[in-house]
Amino acid sequence: MKSIFIKLLIALPVIYIALFAGLWSSVTDSRPVLSILDMMRSDSATEIIDFSSDEEKSSKPKPKPNKDRNPYYGDLHVHTKHSFDAYIFGVTATPNDAYRYAKGDGIMHPMGYEMKLQEPLDFYSVTDHGFFMGMLNAWSDTTTDISQKDFAKPFHDLNRIENLTTESAGPRSALFSEILGGTVTQTYSDLSPNVLKAWLTKNTQAALKSFDYKIHKSAWEDVARAANEHNDPGHFTTFIGYEFTTSTNIEGGNLHRNVIFNSSKAPIRPWTRIDSINPEDLWTWQDKLRDKGVDTVSIPHNPNGSNGQMFEMETFYSDPINREYAEKRMRNEPLVEVTQVKGTSETHPLLSPDDEWADFEIMDVRVGSRPPTFSRPYGSYVREAYLNGLTLEFTKQGNPYKFGLIGSSDTHTGAGAFDESNYWSKVGILDGDPENRGSSPLTQENIQRMDDYMRAFNQPRSTVSLEQGEYANTGFTQWGASGLAAVWAEENTRDSIFKAFKRKETFATTGTRIAVRFFGGYNLSSIDLNSEMLVSQAYQNGVTMGSDLVGDGDKAPEFIVWAQRDKNGAPLQRVQIIKGWSDASGRGHEKVFDVVCSDGLQVDPVTNRCPDNGAKVNINDCSITKNVGSAELKASWVDPEFDNETKSFYYARVLENPTCRWSTWDAISRGFKPREDLHDTIQERAWSSPIWYIPPASDVDVVPLGGTVRMINLST
Amino acid sequence: MNADKDKSIFISDQEILSLISAWKSQVGRDPSNDELARIINNLVDEEILYREALLLGLDQEDTIIKRRLAQKISFLKEESILEIPSAKELNKYYENNKDKYFIESSFTFTHYYFSENNNSLERSQQALKALQENSTFKSDPFYLGKAFANEPYRNIESNFGIEFATNFINLAPQKWSKPIRSTYGHHIVYINSINPGYIPEIEEVLRQVEVDFLQMKREQAVKGFLNNIRSEYTIFINPDLKF
Repeated sequence: MKSIFIKLLIALPVIYIALFAGLWSSVTDSRPVLSILDMMRSDSATEIIDFSSDEEKSSKPKPKPNKDRNPYYGDLHVHTKHSFDAYIFGVTATPNDAYRYAKGDGIMHPMGYEMKLQEPLDFYSVTDHGFFMGMLNAWSDTTTDISQKDFAKPFHDLNRIENLTTESAGPRSALFSEILGGTVTQTYSDLSPNVLKAWLTKNTQAALKSFDYKIHKSAWEDVARAANEHNDPGHFTTFIGYEFTTSTNIEGGNLHRNVIFNSSKAPIRPWTRIDSINPEDLWTWQDKLRDKGVDTVSIPHNPNGSNGQMFEMETFYSDPINREYAEKRMRNEPLVEVTQVKGTSETHPLLSPDDEWADFEIMDVRVGSRPPTFSRPYGSYVREAYLNGLTLEFTKQGNPYKFGLIGSSDTHTGAGAFDESNYWSKVGILDGDPENRGSSPLTQENIQRMDDYMRAFNQPRSTVSLEQGEYANTGFTQWGASGLAAVWAEENTRDSIFKAFKRKETFATTGTRIAVRFFGGYNLSSIDLNSEMLVSQAYQNGVTMGSDLVGDGDKAPEFIVWAQRDKNGAPLQRVQIIKGWSDASGRGHEKVFDVVCSDGLQVDPVTNRCPDNGAKVNINDCSITKNVGSAELKASWVDPEFDNETKSFYYARVLENPTCRWSTWDAISRGFKPREDLHDTIQERAWSSPIWYIPPASDVDVVPLGGTVRMINLST
Repeated sequence: MNADKDKSIFISDQEILSLISAWKSQVGRDPSNDELARIINNLVDEEILYREALLLGLDQEDTIIKRRLAQKISFLKEESILEIPSAKELNKYYENNKDKYFIESSFTFTHYYFSENNNSLERSQQALKALQENSTFKSDPFYLGKAFANEPYRNIESNFGIEFATNFINLAPQKWSKPIRSTYGHHIVYINSINPGYIPEIEEVLRQVEVDFLQMKREQAVKGFLNNIRSEYTIFINPDLKF
C-alpha cells in the first residue's frame, strides 16, 4: 500500500514533466511522431453549448410568410459594457438594454440623455469584442481577485470620480490604445500550471495574467442569453454574435470581423485574436463549428481603415491566393459591412475618379491609430475588391471577393445612431456632445484641456481654427449616422434571415429605410413593370442580388430594379446601376449608369446621367424642397455596352434627395453655422449586393503567377 | 488609502507594493529610494487634492459625476438579484401586469395601390366605382405585395406610414374602402378578417414574463433601497419658483 503511494508520488512530477515536454515539442517541433502528444489536448473553442432557455411556447399569431419576401432592417454590430473599450468609454448599457432599444424602448447615453429609435428595428445582434470580453469590468471592480494584479491598476482609476467625466477623454483614449497595443498581455512563467492548462485546452488566453476564464465565460453567457431571451419569431429576431478584433501586425491594418451564429447554440467561448490574429484561422474554426452543426457568417467591417489589407491580392502571410483560399473565405464570409459610423467603404475618389458620388463619408485613417495615420485606399474599398476578385479569377486563383453588402452601426453605447437630426456618434463620453465631436466650437477651457492632453500623451495638435472659432479635430468629424443591414426574407425569423445572409440577398443603407429590389435574367423584359406579378415573375425568370447569372449564348442580360423611399426620409432622386468588368488582360474597369430618374425625368443617353431635379436644402433650418423626388422608382435596363465574353458584376445604388448632414444639424441647433471644411449635406443611399455575370465557356485560359497565357479557340 | 474625518492619510503596504510592481512592469527594475519617495508623494498629493476638491464641493457641481455614482450604486443593488422565480411569483406578477402582454389585433386584407407618380387620387376613385359596377380597371403593383395575412397593426404602420394606419383602423371589414392615402400614393382596401387583440394565457408568454419579472426585481432592489433611506432625508423645494 505504502509503496503504491510512493510510486504515485513519484509518478506525478514525471507526468507533469512529460506534459511540459509535450508542450515544448508541439511548440518547437512539428514532426508527426511528436504531434501524437497533441491527442492529449482538447479544443475549448469548439465545445458547443445551447444557450436557449425552455422551448418557446408562444401561440401569438405570426404574420404569414411572404414567398416574394419582405425587406427587414437591422443592426449586426453593437457593443455594450462587455466590450473592453465600451467600458473605457463610460458605457454601462447591458446586452439586455441594447435589445430593448432595438425594440423601441429608450435607454440612457453615458452622458445622461435618452436614446430612442424613431421606429423599432426588425433584427439586432449584440457583438461585443471577443478578446478580453467582460475583463474590464472585473479589472476595475476592486472586489475581484484579478483587479489586485498590477496591470489592472490603471483601470481602478477609471472608476475614480474625477475620471468619470468628459475631461477624461484623453486618458481613456490612451488606455484604449494600450490594450490594443498588447501591454496588458503578460503571460505566467513558462513552468506555471496555468500555461500547461492553456496548452491542454488550446486556450491561450488562460496563460495570461490579465485573464480570468470564469468571468470571461459569464460575460459571453450574458451576451448569448440576452439574445435568446429577446428573440421573438415572426416579430423580432436576435442573433448571438461577437466581434473578432484583429489587425495586421506592423501596420495596424484593420481586419475586424463580426461573427454571427445561426441558432441558440454557440461555443463555450468566442474565438479571439489571442487564439490567432490571422483571419484564415477564424475560418478554420468556423468550418469546425459547421461540422458540429453550428453555422456562422463572419462579416468584415471598416475595410476603409485597413490600410489596403482587408482585400489584398495575397494571403495574410503573403502567399498567393488560390482556389482553396477563395472558397474558404467565401464559405465563411459571404457579406461585408460597407457602411457604419466610421465611414463608408463603397469606393474612394482616388479609385473611382469618374464617379461623382464617390466622395461620400470617407474616413481616411486606420482604425484606432494613434497618432491618426493615413489608410491606403487601394485594397480598402469594396468596389475595387469586386474588380480584383475578377482579376484573381482571370488568373485561375479563384474569386475570394464575391461578397454581398450590409451596413451596421458599430455603436459602443448599445444603441445605434441612424438619424442625422438626432446623432450621438458611437464612443460614449468621447463623442457624446457636439463640442467633442467637432461640430460646434470649443469653449476656452476645453481648448486648453485638449492641448494639455495631446501634450501629455505625445499626440499631434487636435484642434483647428476656423471662422467661428477653435474646433476639436480628433477625427470624429469623419464619422456619421450610418448604417443598417437589410435582407429580403420570407419572414422575420432567425432561420429565414440567416438564410438570406448566406445567399447574399442583402442590401446596405446609410441608416435610411430605403428598400431596393434587383433582378437579372434573359427573359425579364417580357414582364410588365406595372403588373401585380412583377416580383414573383422576376424571381421565377431571373436571379436576384447576391447571385450568379450564367451566360446564355450571346444574349444580353436584362435587369429590373425597383426602389421604395423611406417614409420618414427624403424622397428618392435616382437609381443607378454600377457595372464592373475585367478586360482581355484581366484588368478591372467600372462605370456608373443612371437608370431611372425622379419626377419622370429622362436619363441622358450620352452622359448616362439624370437631369437635376431641382431638390435643394436650406442650410439655415435644414428644410428641403417640397414635392420634388419620387416615392418609388422602377425600371428595366439592358447594359448598352454588354459583351458576352466579359466577366462582370452589376449592383444597384439608390440615392435620396440631399438632406442636412449631422454636423449641420448639430451646428444650427446650437446657433452656429456649419463648419466650412465639412460637407453640409449628404445624400442618404442604399446599395444592393451585386449580380455577377459569368460568361459561357471561356476561350481564355490563363496560368497564374508568371506562367504563360494560352488562348484556346473552343469553336474550332 | 483611508480617509478619516481629521486630516490623516493612511497608506497601506499593499498600495505601495502595487505601485512598485506597476513601476517595475513599466521600467523593468525596482525604483530607487528617491524614485519611491516621488511615487509615494504623488499618491499623497493626489489624495490631498481629491479630498480638498470634495471639501470644496467640486463633485457636487458636476451632474455627470453625480449621475455616474448613482448609476454605480444602482448596479450594485441590481446585481444582488440572482435567484430563479417560482411559478407562484410569476403567476402573481402576471395577474398584476396582464395589460403588458396584450396581443394586438392583426389583420388579413388585400388592397389596390395607385402610385403617387400617376394621379393616384383620381385613379383610385375611378377604381372604386369600377369595383362597384363590376367593370375592370388598372392598378399599380405595391412594393410589398397585394395580400397580407395576420399582419399586426404595428407592421401596417411601418409598411404604409402613420396616416394610412390611422385611417385603416377605422375601416369596416368585408367591404371595399374609400381611397386612403399612404406615403406612396392611394389605396383601396378590403379587410377579410380581423384577429381581435386579446390577453393571452400565461403559458403563451411565460418566457417574457420571466424576463420582465427579473427586470422588475432588479428595479425594486434599487427602489427598496431608496425607500428605506429616503426617510432619513429632508427635501426642501422653493414653492414659489417661477419659470
